[in-house]
Amino acid sequence: MTGVDLWTIVRFVHILGAALWVGGQLALSLVILPLARRMLSAEAREGFVGAAGRRFGLLTVALFVPVQVATGVALAWRAGVTWESLAAPGYGRVLAAKLVLFAAVMLLAAAHGWAHGRGRRDLARALAVAALVGSLGVVLLATALSGA
Amino acid sequence: MSTGPNETAAPTPERPRPGASSASAPRVRHLRAHVVIVVWLALALITATTQHTLPVAHWLAIHLFLLGAVTTAIMVWTEHFAVAMLHAPPPDPRWGGVRLIALNVSAVAVLTGVAVDWPVLAGVGTLGVVAAIIGHVAALVRLGRGALGGRLAPVVGYYRLAGVALIAGAVLGGLLATGALGEAGRTGVELAHIHVNLLGWVGLPIVGTLFMLWPTVLGVRMEDRTVPVARRVLWLTGLGLLLAVPALLLGARWPAVAGLAVYAVGVGWASALFLRTVLRRAPRSGASWMLAAATCWLVVGVVADLGLMATRELSHLDPALHGLLPVLLIGFVGQTLLGALTYLLPVVLSGGPTDRAALADLLDWGWRTRLVVLNAGVLLLFLPLPAPVGAVGFGAAAAAFAAFLGLAAAALVRSREGAVTGGAGGAAAWRAPLAGAGIGVLLIVFALVAAGLPAGTTSGGGGSGTAATGTRTVEVELKGMAVSPSRIEVAPGTVLRLEVVNRDTQRHDLRVEDGPRTPMLGEGESHLLEVGPIAADLEAWCTVPGHRAAGMSMTIAVTGSADGGAESEPGHGHASPDGLDPAAEHSDGWEPRSAVLPPAEEARVHEVELRAVEADIEVAPGVSQRMWTFGGTAPGPTLRGKVGDVFEVTLVNDAEMGHGIDFHAGALAPDEPMRTIGPGERLVYRFTAERAGAWLYHCSTPSMLQHIGNGMYGAVIIDPPDLEQADREYVLVSSQLYLGEPGSEGQVAKMREGRPDAWVFNGGAGQYAAAPLAARAEERVRFWVVAAGPSDGIAFHIVGTVFDSVYKEGAHLVRPDDPGGAQVLDLAAAQGGYVEAVFPEPGHYALVDHDMRRAEAGAHGIVKVTP
Ligand SMILES: [Cu+2]
Repeated sequence: MTGVDLWTIVRFVHILGAALWVGGQLALSLVILPLARRMLSAEAREGFVGAAGRRFGLLTVALFVPVQVATGVALAWRAGVTWESLAAPGYGRVLAAKLVLFAAVMLLAAAHGWAHGRGRRDLARALAVAALVGSLGVVLLATALSGA
Repeated sequence: MSTGPNETAAPTPERPRPGASSASAPRVRHLRAHVVIVVWLALALITATTQHTLPVAHWLAIHLFLLGAVTTAIMVWTEHFAVAMLHAPPPDPRWGGVRLIALNVSAVAVLTGVAVDWPVLAGVGTLGVVAAIIGHVAALVRLGRGALGGRLAPVVGYYRLAGVALIAGAVLGGLLATGALGEAGRTGVELAHIHVNLLGWVGLPIVGTLFMLWPTVLGVRMEDRTVPVARRVLWLTGLGLLLAVPALLLGARWPAVAGLAVYAVGVGWASALFLRTVLRRAPRSGASWMLAAATCWLVVGVVADLGLMATRELSHLDPALHGLLPVLLIGFVGQTLLGALTYLLPVVLSGGPTDRAALADLLDWGWRTRLVVLNAGVLLLFLPLPAPVGAVGFGAAAAAFAAFLGLAAAALVRSREGAVTGGAGGAAAWRAPLAGAGIGVLLIVFALVAAGLPAGTTSGGGGSGTAATGTRTVEVELKGMAVSPSRIEVAPGTVLRLEVVNRDTQRHDLRVEDGPRTPMLGEGESHLLEVGPIAADLEAWCTVPGHRAAGMSMTIAVTGSADGGAESEPGHGHASPDGLDPAAEHSDGWEPRSAVLPPAEEARVHEVELRAVEADIEVAPGVSQRMWTFGGTAPGPTLRGKVGDVFEVTLVNDAEMGHGIDFHAGALAPDEPMRTIGPGERLVYRFTAERAGAWLYHCSTPSMLQHIGNGMYGAVIIDPPDLEQADREYVLVSSQLYLGEPGSEGQVAKMREGRPDAWVFNGGAGQYAAAPLAARAEERVRFWVVAAGPSDGIAFHIVGTVFDSVYKEGAHLVRPDDPGGAQVLDLAAAQGGYVEAVFPEPGHYALVDHDMRRAEAGAHGIVKVTP
């Protein structure tokens, strides 16, 4: 097991978490929800979509966010990132942008849950797509970071 | 269906799909596609207007416009028109949607990849663009199968050929964007990329569509000869591109000119037909005027391009073409888009005749003013006027575009409402995700901008001094014989990246002491230099000869370092490996430069190719030095012939700076054959050797001191008619050796002061001491000697011999049967001659420059004489 240290595992968990979350959103919105729309009756669909959304939301809050934040902070600490260095162009600026975008995506996802609960379907869909696209942006910035 | 010209522009009926509202489905698709086009246009406009602040913005604006907006529009409309012209059933809309999405996602990937300098992403995006277009071309081909084929079916050939052009153009663009190419072939690939995309992918569909659209917009019937003309124009433009694009790739200028001329004939023929149509009914609407003006700009652009290419070397074409881009991009492509959309949007988006008229009214608002402002703007940009006027022109064109964008956005919003209320939720279903995607994309764009996408935000004199250890990116401009900022201060250990932009018309580069260097950058080109962690003060400078001396240097200072003051520490850093070690060994695998001179070839015409190229050469035992060379060696190859022979020398410049050549053995006017040629160019130098002698040839580019001093010299031996056969012949070119970075301040100072690090025969200090020349006792050996300088001559002597023959500068001074003898052949810089000696017995005979300073500093060797 030479070469695999604790930090490799932390980075693995961080990337795995991001992949699962973005992948989960993609699977929900590209596979499961369209199928539900086509194959279920209006009532069953309503219930199913709501339940799927709640389950994914719960997973996000209980597992995904804590894991991402914890591993992310640890990785940043290890990389010697300081508050000032976040303002510096290059790595720092990209990381800061990624963090802000991540926060925005989380807000959008939360707003989506709220809108869905209020029965505002259009708004909820718009927010869901925005969160999905935004999270792709987070991944994009993360890849830019690993190249920097 | 009637066969009037209007048929083709009408929206084609769709087969109803279950669950979708039949009437509004195509309308909604058009709506979506045009929202995307308008967004791309808006982004392009924003980027173009802010381009002075961002280094990659020039590239970005052009590609947002062409790759984003125009390519999407062409894909949508060529498919739409192909269906109409072929009378074909419409293809599966879902696949059309997939292609459009793939194209747009890939375009985003390409643009992002280049903007954040991530070549892999740009490469993947390029592949996506190619895949989308292959699908598009396949769909166009499939449409043609079994279709009824209308009168204008040949126009679809334009669309297919255009698709093929984009595939080629995208591949070339991908090579450029990912940096997969070296510097060598870049110019040709760039030119081919520009031409195949602009004239092929964009030009062909526009010209083809105009055959139908132009009479439609004017409201007259098509000319009878439209179809045969369309066919011929397709052949001409297609063949022209097929000739021009590979020729540009290969750097073959005249075939490229010929191809472009054929293309121009095709465009001219089409324009003549359009003109005849106008003569029957003058344009009255905004759409028709814009299309007319756009076609005029196309003709202007193609003719100007042809003229430029015919009068300029390809390697000098790029900057000139940049002047032409506004004409083609704004005047032709942009205006065509405006005109076509003005006409077509009401046709495809309206729910009925009243709706259509209202939309048309909306889009026509203020068209006269917009038309005049736009074209005046293009004219200002096209004419060679001072920069502020160009800015005014750009502002005018941008304002006209912005006005259209506003109108188009209003039309889209309006018709979306119509589609929603009239079209039973088909559009509403898409509205929310579309809005969501828009929000998401906006977020990403803001994040990328905040991330410092072009990374140039800390330009200026630096010295903030507060940056913590980490990565720091600084924008560096090369302009007006200066590097700005001229000083950067960083905390120790900071990882420094320099975003180097050349804002000068001349080519420059930037080399960091003990660090990386950029390639030679043309005007507007930029390069990201990863300097790495900074531990000590560094200098950086332009390596073009003379430019550093003129002030093109900068200091990277570590804050808190001892000499971190304002003085620019001259002399620091270019520590050349001064003081050669005479006891050192040559490295493994080192080979001496052969001094053996073969007899002249029988041929009376000598064709030689010399490539100017930089090479690392072992110039003294264990010392490698970057040299500027003819053919990879210093001295360059020795040429030999007889009196009256013709030498046809092709100089190919494979180096990064300009070079030329000057043969002392021939007499002709220096202007043309000795001119400096740029990187990638070639030059034929033809001279007749009327007179015998040992001649010098050398680089003719200023500073000749530096070009010769860095290795660009060689010998031409023209045998005197009465030259006797010798047992052996050697050629020795003597020169001074200057170590250090070529063109650097320190090295040039040594040249100016005549303080070489060594004196050498055939480019190597002491090389014939390490690898002696061979001879046998009693043999007559002839030594040709040429003094290449750049400054010193030579006093050539062979210890232990008496010269019984001396031939110097065209005259025999001593002949074997003369009673006198000679001990030295003395040559001033650039003189040449030969001496002969008969070695009396076996032994080691030293050959030296009898100026003993020089002999001891490299100008010595051994002739090893065996029985
Ligand atoms: Cu030169």
